[in-house]
Amino acid sequence: MLPATALALGLLAALLAWPVPAALSRARWPQRDPLAALVCWQAVGLAGGLSIIGALLTHGLAPWGHSLPEAWWHWVTHWSTGAPPEEPVRGDHWVAQTLAAVLALELLGVLALSLVRTARTRRRHRALLELVVEPAAAGEDTRLLDHPAPVAFCIPGARPLLVLSSGMVAELDGAQVDAVVAHERAHLTEHHHLLLLPFVAWRAALPVLPAADRAHDAVRDLVEMRADDVALGSLTGPDRRRTLAAAIVAVAAGAGGQLPDGALAVTGGAVAVRVRRLLAPAAPLPSGARWAALLSAVALLLVPTVLLVLPALV
Amino acid sequence: MNTLGELERSVLEHLWAVAGPVTATQLRDELADRGLALTTVHTVLTRLEQKGFVTHDETRPRQFRARGTREEHVADLMHEVLGQAGDRQAALARFVGSVGDDEVRMLRELLAGAGDDPAR
Repeated sequence: MLPATALALGLLAALLAWPVPAALSRARWPQRDPLAALVCWQAVGLAGGLSIIGALLTHGLAPWGHSLPEAWWHWVTHWSTGAPPEEPVRGDHWVAQTLAAVLALELLGVLALSLVRTARTRRRHRALLELVVEPAAAGEDTRLLDHPAPVAFCIPGARPLLVLSSGMVAELDGAQVDAVVAHERAHLTEHHHLLLLPFVAWRAALPVLPAADRAHDAVRDLVEMRADDVALGSLTGPDRRRTLAAAIVAVAAGAGGQLPDGALAVTGGAVAVRVRRLLAPAAPLPSGARWAALLSAVALLLVPTVLLVLPALV
Repeated sequence: MNTLGELERSVLEHLWAVAGPVTATQLRDELADRGLALTTVHTVLTRLEQKGFVTHDETRPRQFRARGTREEHVADLMHEVLGQAGDRQAALARFVGSVGDDEVRMLRELLAGAGDDPAR
């Protein structure tokens, strides 16, 4: 039973390592429903890791039993009892076991490392801001930084901070500043940094995998679109979409010129996509399509899980 | 009410203002309106040192000075925020990332084009 499981998991891992992320990052529908797309990306990332590690593990443990729990128990106990495996163990079984362990440790290790590292950077930034800048009038968690470039950002965490530069307040009108603040607040209330974190980590862990890069960029852009959507919901005013789009363009123009020309395709990087979908919104995804996307995400997670435990049940 | 954060801020402001080495006793006397105990001043200075904003020399009594001006700290932070270092960028969510001049031009055209659209 285990060799078949290993093959099926390996096939799924191959799909999730290349064609599925490629298709999802090229698709147009995520722009219309960033939230559903974000759920799909989380499922792709999780199922990808689960299936590749599961495939290696089931192949490596195949000589020891007919299901994963049984084989695992056999493998663990044979070190103390000296009980021989049911079938001869070849070199490739050892290689697969080792690879599974290395990959699992690397993915989890890099995740923990980037968790610690970003937490440390955030703590440093927050300490600096709390010392250097007085709280702004807009609220206890808002800081106005004295700097000519129009910049806004938020530092997520248990005590989040929202930072605006004086250049931002000078160049944007009141409604536009409100739109910027609403956008940043959306990041904080929906904990977008947690959605992005695994992809930051896995891009660092798997630099050879183009899908890791692609997934990271897609998720990074989708959380921006999602924050735009949430911001629109909390804004009032005659033309909220245009106000937010104008704020984006003003900030991009004010801080612009840091990248060499042509660093991004002229047809538009992520900022242009945001502006376009604000100015000319596509119809929201029909609820049938949305449910199909969400159900595929659930299915994607269920398939490797079922493949791993099913041989133990039948 | 003197919260620790407020105390740290006023001690640091003071060190920035005098721009020279100061002992803890001098600091306490100069911040007399806050009614601080000497131990409190030391606690605040230790915290500021741990955060990297203050250094002391080895004279007796110790003299404390600010490490870097306010402007330098702000400039460092902005350098990180505006910089391209991906690992650092993960720590915060920026409203709009860095874009090139070409893209700025195109964004302006997009915005202008939508304004001229009679359907809107």
